[in-house]
Amino acid sequence: MRKYTILMVVSVLVGLFAMMTMASVSLSLITSPDNGPSLQWLAQEFEKQNPDIRINVSIVSWETLYPRLLADLRAKSGVYDIFTWDVMTAGSVHSGCLDLTKFFKEHSNIIPKNYDRNDLLPLAEKLGEWNGDLIGLPYYNNTMLFYYRKDLFNNPKYQKEFYDMFGRPLRVPTTWAEAVDVAKFFTKKYNSNSPTRFGIALMFPTTHTMFYMFPLFFGPYRRSPEGIREFGSVNITYGDYFTSDGKPAFANKYGLMALEDMKALMPYAPDPLGSDYGQTIEYFSQGMTAMCPQWTNPYMQFKSSPALQPYSEKIGIAPMPGRSVAGNWALGISKYIPLEKQIAAAKFILFATSKWATLHVLEKFGIAPIRESILDNPEAQKVIPWVKALPTIYQTETFRPRIPQEPQLESITDVYFSEMLAGKIPMTIESLKKLAQKWEKVLSSK
Amino acid sequence: MNRKTTRIVLKVIRYAAVTLILSVFLFPAYWIIITAFKPMSEWNTWPPHFWPYHPTLVNFAVKGILPFLRNSLVVSSSVAFISAAISLMAAYAISRYKIGGTALAGWFISMRMLPPITIAIPLYVIYVKVHLLNTWLGLILVYLIPAVAFGIWVMISFLNEVPRELDEAAYVDGATRIQTFRYVIFPLSISGVAAVIVLSFVQTWSAFLLATVLTSDSAAQTLPVYLGRFVTGYNIEWGPLAAAGLITMLPPIAIGLIFQRYLIRGLTFGAVKG
Amino acid sequence: MVPEKELKENLIRMHDRRIALLFILPAVVLFLVMAIYPFIYMIYTSFTNLNLSMSGTGQFIGLSNYFEIFHDPLAMGSITFSTMVLLIAVPIEMAIGVLFGLLIRGLKGERIFRLLFLISMMIPGIVFGISAQMIFNYLFGAANYFLSFFGVPEIAWFGHAATAQFVILFLDIIQWTPFIFLITYAGLLSVPQDLIDAARVDGASRWQLFINVELPTLKSFIYIALIIRLIDALKIFGKIYMTTWGGPGMATSSWSFYIYKVGVSYGWDIGYASALAIILLIVSAILVNLLIKVLNLGETLELKREG
Repeated sequence: MRKYTILMVVSVLVGLFAMMTMASVSLSLITSPDNGPSLQWLAQEFEKQNPDIRINVSIVSWETLYPRLLADLRAKSGVYDIFTWDVMTAGSVHSGCLDLTKFFKEHSNIIPKNYDRNDLLPLAEKLGEWNGDLIGLPYYNNTMLFYYRKDLFNNPKYQKEFYDMFGRPLRVPTTWAEAVDVAKFFTKKYNSNSPTRFGIALMFPTTHTMFYMFPLFFGPYRRSPEGIREFGSVNITYGDYFTSDGKPAFANKYGLMALEDMKALMPYAPDPLGSDYGQTIEYFSQGMTAMCPQWTNPYMQFKSSPALQPYSEKIGIAPMPGRSVAGNWALGISKYIPLEKQIAAAKFILFATSKWATLHVLEKFGIAPIRESILDNPEAQKVIPWVKALPTIYQTETFRPRIPQEPQLESITDVYFSEMLAGKIPMTIESLKKLAQKWEKVLSSK
Repeated sequence: MNRKTTRIVLKVIRYAAVTLILSVFLFPAYWIIITAFKPMSEWNTWPPHFWPYHPTLVNFAVKGILPFLRNSLVVSSSVAFISAAISLMAAYAISRYKIGGTALAGWFISMRMLPPITIAIPLYVIYVKVHLLNTWLGLILVYLIPAVAFGIWVMISFLNEVPRELDEAAYVDGATRIQTFRYVIFPLSISGVAAVIVLSFVQTWSAFLLATVLTSDSAAQTLPVYLGRFVTGYNIEWGPLAAAGLITMLPPIAIGLIFQRYLIRGLTFGAVKG
Repeated sequence: MVPEKELKENLIRMHDRRIALLFILPAVVLFLVMAIYPFIYMIYTSFTNLNLSMSGTGQFIGLSNYFEIFHDPLAMGSITFSTMVLLIAVPIEMAIGVLFGLLIRGLKGERIFRLLFLISMMIPGIVFGISAQMIFNYLFGAANYFLSFFGVPEIAWFGHAATAQFVILFLDIIQWTPFIFLITYAGLLSVPQDLIDAARVDGASRWQLFINVELPTLKSFIYIALIIRLIDALKIFGKIYMTTWGGPGMATSSWSFYIYKVGVSYGWDIGYASALAIILLIVSAILVNLLIKVLNLGETLELKREG
């Protein structure tokens, strides 16, 4: 009995203490690992300037973030005040997000004088909208880059060996077909003189990663003149997986060719079907592969990796041989929290997307900028070499669908692609048609 | 002579087999322990380091883990004690008064087998409505199900061993049923109660699925959920993650070892005195 | 019997029954509220198209969800892996569990071996998952390192269906064999010593000792362990979540994991997930009933009213 009384007394004391130390407004922010460290840092800086607001940042993996966020918004439980939402989830999170256009109009006094809304990149801002409502301020204008070992590609010895082997000069591939020979050259199993164990680090796991890797290969076909003729132009609501009027666009020879391009590279990659984000970054960081398609902020890890020093000589960055894919994140505010918290949250997201913040998170964390002025900033370009390449990439990158059914489509597709690449399902147009049928079923809603 | 050599050879084989089995079974735990002490440069190497060459305590600076540790302690302890109480009472009713017969007992025990995912989703919807989402109470209630189910099974066996004559003797001495329960039955079934407490604690500590679905942040999330936050993750920091894993491993191992006698008795329904 | 005495005994019995009902109430309420009520709710939603990520869902659609299950290759694929766990992992766990008990019985250091083996049982499944990700990593993992000693080239553990399945089954075996061991070892300990001595005096060999003296006692313990384990095997989740995420493809997706994917992870398709879950419950219920019959639970717990 005594043990319980002690326990109760302690609990009450702890509770009182907790209540006393609570600031006037406490915000809960949930985010993915790409955005996490930068947001944590921004939260600290923000708290210095706004001592009456406390921000608690929760960092969880993508697979945990999405269902948690969606559940919170759909259940209207208001657990998370601020959240980063991934670009293709716009349709499904829309109903729970605060309409920022209206909110900023009503509370225009919280917008800082020097915010300069016009500085925001038009594409980034458009991706923060759904159905005409601005439901998030763009935060991370993420896209994929093609990292490669500059030192190896520039090495005369390997250039000669490559020429002897394949009859053409060694250079950074501009198409996936070109990449096959280069990858083979850098894979020890096929070339005992290779300085790296594998040619390219690829991630084709059965997670949402697969869904954004496919457009890298499908994009060139979808956006070719034939592709545009057959499927119409790409809009950002439906993206490259769909035709311009919302039908699946991959159940044909183009989709098949994309998969075949992926398969052609697989022998030269370490465990592509079993490797995800973290693994491929590790492989390239440790000098195990010569090439690595990856997002923008893994650059920070490559830059500090012992095996890649000096980084200016070893880390090369080029546009994606196929096409890149958009991976924007926006900061949204929950509709279902009290006004006081919404105002505090709005203050924070304005702070996090200000010129000062955008420049600093770019330089410190490799967060691709959402502002024109930062893209053009010479200091930024010096610190982070890929900034200069971004404008071109933004014009040509592919998109995933942003409709509400997107997560369900993704879930089915990851499995199908994985099984096709592994050979469990025949890699034919028939199989793609079956997948498209499943898509139709989800789209028409049961 | 031949017979003796055979016996020695057999013994050697036995030791070898035991060592082999133990090495394989303990290897994953061993790997977590050494990784927790490895600096970043040793997390991914070839050949792998089977011992931290430059051991460090840096990985243990996971201050973010404290709320999760607190939550695990609160939830597991609460479930342990409350389940013991409920199990004892229900088992007493069944053992002494045969309430409900085989059907009721069978139903109770079958609750242990309930796959968590089957109640996770409806409970999520219900919890939102009654505001039990992301609360200790919410987790405690849900983990009481397997704990009480198993606890009742265990306690019935223990109580069956307490001779009914003692009940009668107490009654003849003028005790009410409740007094009989409190002063005669309870003290004699202490080891059963202890077994249920230990088993419930250990099982609840490891539980993952329901905690993941029914909680949202560090206010109520337990250690396994903390570990699970980086699944298929970005840039997994193996050192701190292994350190967190080590912290998660220690309490149930400690409790299991200290109270192993109760654990054994509990899992074998009192058949063995350990 | 004197009528007065009989009346008094009846009154006492009524009073006793009231106390007994009171004692059983908490458990009954707990299960009704926390398990039966959600279960009924889930039966209801399984006949709807409720999807938390889309507004305007929740209409009654009859048996559509159930029909869809049979046309869903992803669901059918999950049955395969769940069955693999039942038919491969569980027997191996039983074999090694019993074997370990026999190996250490009577050996010096028995207690220490027992202790060490038990540690494995106390470790949460999630931690095994983390460990496995490191050990079975393609380029840096200890598993491929061990293989290199035998001249075997490195295996892409998580990239091939068979090896990914091996990893999950391996983790399951590591986690649950100690449980089997514990229960059957207890059975070994409870074999009366005089029977063993008598058999020895009669000149029985170790093998004959096992078959004729130990096994009969051990049988009931093995049954208990087997059926508990069979039913629990259907729940396998944490290890998959932490390592393969059901992949590659559907190779390591258990039924429970598929329900999670459908119902939680990729869009809260409550209707369909409920239907899947009901099927899981039906299978579990069948197995549990088997358990109760095989164990002769009524007699074991001395519940059958004396004739």
